[in-house]
Amino acid sequence: MKQKPRVAVFDFADCEGCELQIANLEEEILDLLQIVDIVSFREVMKEHSDSYDIAIVEGSIMRPMDEQRLRDIRSKAKILVALGACACIGGVNKLRNQWMHDEVVRTVYGDVPVHGNKLFDVFKTKALNEIVPVDYYIHGCPIDRDEFKHVITSLALGKKPDIPRYPVCVECKKNENICQFELGNYCLGPITRAGCGAICPTNGSPCDGCRGLIKKAETECVWQVLERYNLSYEDIRRRCTMYNYGKEECQVDE
Amino acid sequence: MGGAKTVKIITKKDLDSFISNLIKEKKYEIIGVKSKGERFVFDTLEDAKELRLDHDVTILPPKKYFLPQYETLMQFNLEKQFEVKPEDEAKPRIILGIHPYDIIALEQMDKVYLDSQKDDFYKKRRENTILIACDIQNVSDRSFAASMKTNTTDKGFDLLLTKIEDKYTITIGSEKGKQLLEKYAKTSDAKENDIKKIDAARKKILNKYKKKVILPKEEWPSVLVANYDSGIWEERSDKCVECSSCTMVCPTCYCYDVKDTVSLNLKNGTRTRTWDGCMLREFTRVGSGEVFREEIKDRYRHRYFRKGNYLPARYGFTACVGCGRCGIACLPDIADPCDVMNSLAHHPKSNDTTRFFIKQETKVAETNTIHVPRKATIKRIEKLTDAEKLFEIELDDKKPLGGMPGQFVEISIFGVGEAPFGLASPPSDSPTFEMAVRKVGNVTSKLHEMNVGDKIGVRGPLGNGFDIKAMEGKHLLLTSGGIGMYPMRSLIKYVLDKKNRKKFKNVIILYGAKRPKEILFLNEIQDWKKCQDTTCELTVDRCEQGECWSDSIGLITTLFPKIRVDKLDSKNTIAVVVGPPVMYKFVIKSLQIMGIPDDNIFVSLERRMKCGVGKCGHCQINGVYVCKEGPVFNYNQIKNLPEAFE
Repeated sequence: MKQKPRVAVFDFADCEGCELQIANLEEEILDLLQIVDIVSFREVMKEHSDSYDIAIVEGSIMRPMDEQRLRDIRSKAKILVALGACACIGGVNKLRNQWMHDEVVRTVYGDVPVHGNKLFDVFKTKALNEIVPVDYYIHGCPIDRDEFKHVITSLALGKKPDIPRYPVCVECKKNENICQFELGNYCLGPITRAGCGAICPTNGSPCDGCRGLIKKAETECVWQVLERYNLSYEDIRRRCTMYNYGKEECQVDE
Repeated sequence: MGGAKTVKIITKKDLDSFISNLIKEKKYEIIGVKSKGERFVFDTLEDAKELRLDHDVTILPPKKYFLPQYETLMQFNLEKQFEVKPEDEAKPRIILGIHPYDIIALEQMDKVYLDSQKDDFYKKRRENTILIACDIQNVSDRSFAASMKTNTTDKGFDLLLTKIEDKYTITIGSEKGKQLLEKYAKTSDAKENDIKKIDAARKKILNKYKKKVILPKEEWPSVLVANYDSGIWEERSDKCVECSSCTMVCPTCYCYDVKDTVSLNLKNGTRTRTWDGCMLREFTRVGSGEVFREEIKDRYRHRYFRKGNYLPARYGFTACVGCGRCGIACLPDIADPCDVMNSLAHHPKSNDTTRFFIKQETKVAETNTIHVPRKATIKRIEKLTDAEKLFEIELDDKKPLGGMPGQFVEISIFGVGEAPFGLASPPSDSPTFEMAVRKVGNVTSKLHEMNVGDKIGVRGPLGNGFDIKAMEGKHLLLTSGGIGMYPMRSLIKYVLDKKNRKKFKNVIILYGAKRPKEILFLNEIQDWKKCQDTTCELTVDRCEQGECWSDSIGLITTLFPKIRVDKLDSKNTIAVVVGPPVMYKFVIKSLQIMGIPDDNIFVSLERRMKCGVGKCGHCQINGVYVCKEGPVFNYNQIKNLPEAFE
């Protein structure tokens, strides 16, 4: 048998929830270990190695020291996989980019002095691909475990993972949901990448676009929809801000 | 109407007991219309009281019970390389409350899925399901079924319920329906007066239809064909979100995609079929990355043409039943065929309604399954170029593949997927065949990693090959570019075979590649040159310093002046062209200048042949299925298809 690929999991600015989704594979972790060697995964193990083939990176990049660490990971990994919305598109961390740094610090830390402290030396939040090339993306907040398995098995089989390039509506319709627009809600499903099985609308919430936008929000067709359902541009802007602040359109990987 | 059929009467109470009896019996899964919020859905009934027969329209049509959203086609064992278990889920079902338009849509689907290449999964489900239809009591705001003449039907159901006052009539549509009723229901015979009430009940709701198509469906094809280039497609599609909700909810959209998933330990896997939609850009993407219907206006137009022209030309029905689901589902409200056809109502009409369609009988081999491939073994691998390999494949049942040059096979690598490949060898009595593979996508890359002895799956041969009969007694001018040489080789080897050579006159082979190192089968070409009355001219686009090349340099068309006219009598010459899309236009022009009639020109086209049996919809060029009518076409037949050589 071919040598198993060595996999390392890293995290940056995030809640570690996507890593938790991997840990939550439970007994399937054993199956995972049959096809890869996990050499580093801070959330679940003590050991660490700098020798790996595949780096799975969670979180967004906020500081020069993070940027340096990410570049270092990239230089060591043959394949870099972005894990979760923070890594793939910046996610909720990008909300911070709306305000000036000082304002953010004041709001969060009040009078606690942070000036000069390297840990607080931050720039505008970035997704991984704003710094280094990313080979594959596992989208979502949190990621979908089945999609994680699909990406890992695809890499193990040497095939390109098949990540949907069509909108959430496709999966939502297959689930026979009542359209969120019909219910009077503004939903990002029509412009958000599918692959989540339309989990939010299926459970009664409109889509927040955590898997990234595949179409610009400011297009004629979206305007048409807003007008028809008597919704304002403010509605769509606010919803897009949650995960896609400053991003007009997620790049649709070819 | 139902006059010739037996009609029974059932009270509301006895109808409830009938359904309760069926639920209690547990012999069938009982499906019925239930409410879901303000809308309705088909779902499993736990209690007779859940059934709603006053629904206007369900979110999804009952198609989901015959072609499910996600359907396991087979399971495979990756450790044993090839152990395939087709799914055998065909639970007997009864579906209650289907409106006539959905019954008509199912009858249409039967024509597609139960044609000469029967979909075995669909067939089983169909045979195992009893349909209890129900006449419409409430009309959806978006429905225009009355003007599509799909608001009522007198066939296609096993039983049909019609509400008359406080009871129902049951029209018996089949023996199955009759027996079910006899066994589980208490009914009485309908009197003449009751039967009259059925018609009255149907007439009564006609005025509830808010939408009406002013252009009769019989005229859709002639109006669509005449307005193929109308600005309406772009104007409306500018507002399209490209979500394909319209196709997902449509009872006459049957396109699907097939995907392999594997377990995390890589031991087992599943091949799943799922609904796909022609409004999605990915729909026409082939392994090399090319997308054939790139612009949304073309995809938008395709949907209407499929419904109003392509399927009518092929099967004789209008593939829209006026249910109005797409109108409800479309967020910018541009998907409603009623609106689109009405806006075209006063536009010009064309008599040539089959312009985008080829009437052609496809010869199909009988198979028990259109999905499960035959097991085969890689016997020999030969490296052709850095990116190309030739594979010799042997079918494990040791039966010859058969087929004609120009046909194709679908090759399965379980866990990775399935892709079409043209045959590179002529038909023979041996169980082996050859195919050449350029590394471009997942399946081809995996094939390149495989070794002699590895197992793969084979479906086919599929499609139409070269018309050998038309070539007999004629001169042959065979032009290929790049990997177009793969299928051309099967034809050349067939023609130059000693057994067949006498059937053809002079043979001229023209072949071009980008670079000398990309010229395929060079040794064989040397042999071909030695054959009697055979010439072979080669060219490359460019030749770098240090590369050895003594033939022409330039595009394929630079070879045409070299053809000695005395060797070819253009009216008695058959020309065959196989190459990349850009090549066709120029080569065909050269052929026409030489005086070769369009009817004597054959081409082989590449599209996304996913199912290979004219079901999944991906390979369509206007009304033509490349996997069925092609991949080899007579140029004269397809030159007027706008999507063929774009």
